[in-house]
Amino acid sequence: MSKIINMLVGGAMLAAIPVSTTSADGIDPADVTDMLHAVMDSDRTIYTKMIVGRLVAEHKLIKATENFEDDISAPLPAQMFRMGAEAVADRTDLFEYSLQSLWPINKPNAENQTELEKEGLKFVAENIGENFYGEEVIDDLKYFTAVYADVAVAEVCATCHNEHKDSPRTDFKVGDVMGGVVIRIPLEG
Amino acid sequence: MINRNHMLWVLWIILSLMGMMIITGVIFVGGPRHLLLIGKTTAAHGQIELACESCHTTGLIDNLTKSPKKLAAAMTKACGTCHLEELNAANDSHPTKKFRGAKKAKTRAQLNAFYCQTCHAEHVPEITRPMAVSLPQDLCVACHTKIGEERESHAGLEFTTCASAGCHNYHDNTALYEAFLVKHGHGEDFLPDAVQEFAAISRTPAIIRTALDEDDPITALETYLNDRDTQKAEQDVQTTDNRTKAKEMLDLVLYAKDVIAPEQYQDQDAITAWESSAHAGAGLNCAACHAPDFKDTTDLALLEENWTERPGLAVCSDCHENQAETFTMGKHGMRFHPEIAKPRTVEADGPMSIAVHVFKDTPLKPTSIGQTSRKDLMKPDVHDMEIGNCNTCHKPHEVNLEVAGVEACTSCHNDDHTQNYFNSRHFELWQLELSGEGAPGTGVTCADCHMPKIEAGDSFFTSHNQNDFLRPKEKMIRPVCMSCHGLGFSIDALADPKLVESNFNGRPSKHIESIDWALKREE
Repeated sequence: MSKIINMLVGGAMLAAIPVSTTSADGIDPADVTDMLHAVMDSDRTIYTKMIVGRLVAEHKLIKATENFEDDISAPLPAQMFRMGAEAVADRTDLFEYSLQSLWPINKPNAENQTELEKEGLKFVAENIGENFYGEEVIDDLKYFTAVYADVAVAEVCATCHNEHKDSPRTDFKVGDVMGGVVIRIPLEG
Repeated sequence: MINRNHMLWVLWIILSLMGMMIITGVIFVGGPRHLLLIGKTTAAHGQIELACESCHTTGLIDNLTKSPKKLAAAMTKACGTCHLEELNAANDSHPTKKFRGAKKAKTRAQLNAFYCQTCHAEHVPEITRPMAVSLPQDLCVACHTKIGEERESHAGLEFTTCASAGCHNYHDNTALYEAFLVKHGHGEDFLPDAVQEFAAISRTPAIIRTALDEDDPITALETYLNDRDTQKAEQDVQTTDNRTKAKEMLDLVLYAKDVIAPEQYQDQDAITAWESSAHAGAGLNCAACHAPDFKDTTDLALLEENWTERPGLAVCSDCHENQAETFTMGKHGMRFHPEIAKPRTVEADGPMSIAVHVFKDTPLKPTSIGQTSRKDLMKPDVHDMEIGNCNTCHKPHEVNLEVAGVEACTSCHNDDHTQNYFNSRHFELWQLELSGEGAPGTGVTCADCHMPKIEAGDSFFTSHNQNDFLRPKEKMIRPVCMSCHGLGFSIDALADPKLVESNFNGRPSKHIESIDWALKREE
C-alpha cells in the first residue's frame, strides 16, 4: 500500500515540475533566481553563524575584519559573499549577483544601482518575507532582475554595521532587513 | 572580354601584395625588425621591443579573424605573464573583476579597465606619461565623481593630486589604504635602534667562519646550533645531534689546497678569494660552477673539456632560484624572463629545415647599458657594459655582498640620487657598519632599498627585482622604509622629489595630510 502511495506521490511530483518551473521557453527565470538565492543565502548564513558568530563573537578564537589580509583574520560575511560573486563572474556571464543596500557602507558599490534595483531594495525592506522580480534594460540588453531581502541573521551583523564609520544608518537590530541580494540574468544575447 | 590592361593591373597588385608580405615576413622572422616598430616602447620595454611575439602573442590569422575584444584580451594576458604576480602581490586596488557586470557598462565605456592597454598603450611615447600611463591625468574622475561630497577632506581637491601627492595609486595602495594609515599613523619619524632584520642576519659573519676561529670549532658550532634549535622550539630541548651535524658542516669546508681545477684556470687571486667565500664554506669546489655536470670528478682532462670560464645565470640559478627568478623580472635581467619570446627551433631533419635555418632568429643577448632607455643617467664609460649576468655586479669568487650593495650600483648609475648617496645619512650609517661601530643591519646600502631582503617561508632572500620596490615609489614604504622610519615620515619623504634627488639628505619639505585625515575620521 505504501509503495502505491509513494508511486502516486512521485508521479504527482514529476507531473507538477513542468507546471511550476518551466515556461514555453524553458525554466522560469524567477525559479532560477530562487534556486540560486537558496544556495547563496544558505552558504552566507552558515558562514555568518558558524564562523563569525561562533568562532569570532562567541569563542573569540579568531577575528573577522575588513582588512583581513593584512590583519591575518577572517573576511567579513559581506566580503566573503562579494568574493564569491567575483569568482562566479570569472567563470560565467550567464548570471551575476551582488549584495546591495539603500544604506551602503561601501558607497562605490551602490553608485551604479539601477532604478529597478532601488525599487526592489525598497520593496523587500517594506514587505517582510517577500521577494521582488522585474525586467530592465541596461546598455541595450534586457535582464531579469530579482531582489531578495538580506536580513541581519546574527547580532554581529547589526553591531558591525551600526558601528562602522561609513555606515549611513546606525539603528539596525537582529532581524532587520539591511539590504538585498540582487540577481540578474540576461534574457537575450 | 577582359581588358589586357586590367589583367596586368590585377596581376601587378597581387604580385606587389605578395612581395610586401614576403619582405615583411623576412624582416619579422630574421631581419632588421626595428623597421617594423611603429613607435618606441616605454622605458624598460625597450629592452625587449624587438622580441615582438612576447607581447603580440596572436598571429596574422588571429589578427585578421578574431574580434578586437579577443585580441585586446590576448594582449592583456601577455602583460600578465610578467606583471600579474606583482599585481596580485600588491592586492591590486582596481582588478578587472571590479569592472564586470551589466551595471558597469557605463564605467567601462569611460575606462575599460579589462585591458591593460586602455591606460598603458605602447609605441606612443608622445602621449605616454610617468608610470607608462597613456591616458590623460583625469582618469580617476571617470568613476570617483562624488568623492568631494562623500569626504569633507577631499572637497575641492584637483584631479591632478589623486596620484601625485603621495595619497593614492591605481594598483598598489598596500601602504596607503585608510586602515593602514590609521594603524601606523602615530609612528615616529626615526624608530629607535632601527635595524633591518634580514640584512642584520645576512651581514652577520657566517657562524661556520666564526667557529673556525675558535680553539674548538666543533663545540663552538654545536653550541650555536643548540642555541638556534632552542630559539626555534622555544624550549630547552635538543632534538637533533648537533655535535654530529657540526662535524659534518666543518668537514665540508674547503681550503686552497683542496682546489680541483685544470692548471691553466688556477688563478691565485681567485683561489684566495674563493677560500673565504660562502661557496668554499659549503663545500663547493671549482667545478660546481665551472663544470656543474662533472662537479664530483677529479679527472682534470674531463674538467678541462667541459670547463665554462664565465658561468652565467643558468648555473647560479641552480642554487639561487629565488634570486634568479626575481632577477629576470627586474630591469637588469628581464631579457632572460622565461616568457620572453624564444628563437624558433630548427628541425634537425626534414625538407623545411633549410628554410627554417634561413629564418631562424637569434636569442636575445644581455642588454648593453648604452641600449637602455635611461643611458643618459649612466656613466658614459660603461655604455658598452652588458647587464644580465650575475657577475656584472657580484665578484664571482668572493661573492662579496658589500660590493654588490653599493659599488656595483654606483659604478654605472650616475644620476643625482646615486651621486648624493655618498653625502647621505644612509651612507654614513653604512660606513659605521663597515667599520664595526654600527651593528649589522644598521647601515643602508643601495641594495637595501632597491633590492631588499624579503621573507620566503621560514627564511628570506634578496629580491633582485628592483622594479618591484621602485615604481610607484610608495611600494618601498612597507618592505623598506618602515624597517627604520614611521609611515608618515616615509610618505612625506617619498612625496618630496627634491629630497629623493638629494638621497634624503635633510627632512621632507612638505607634509602629506592623508594620515591626519584618516585619524580625524576615527575620532
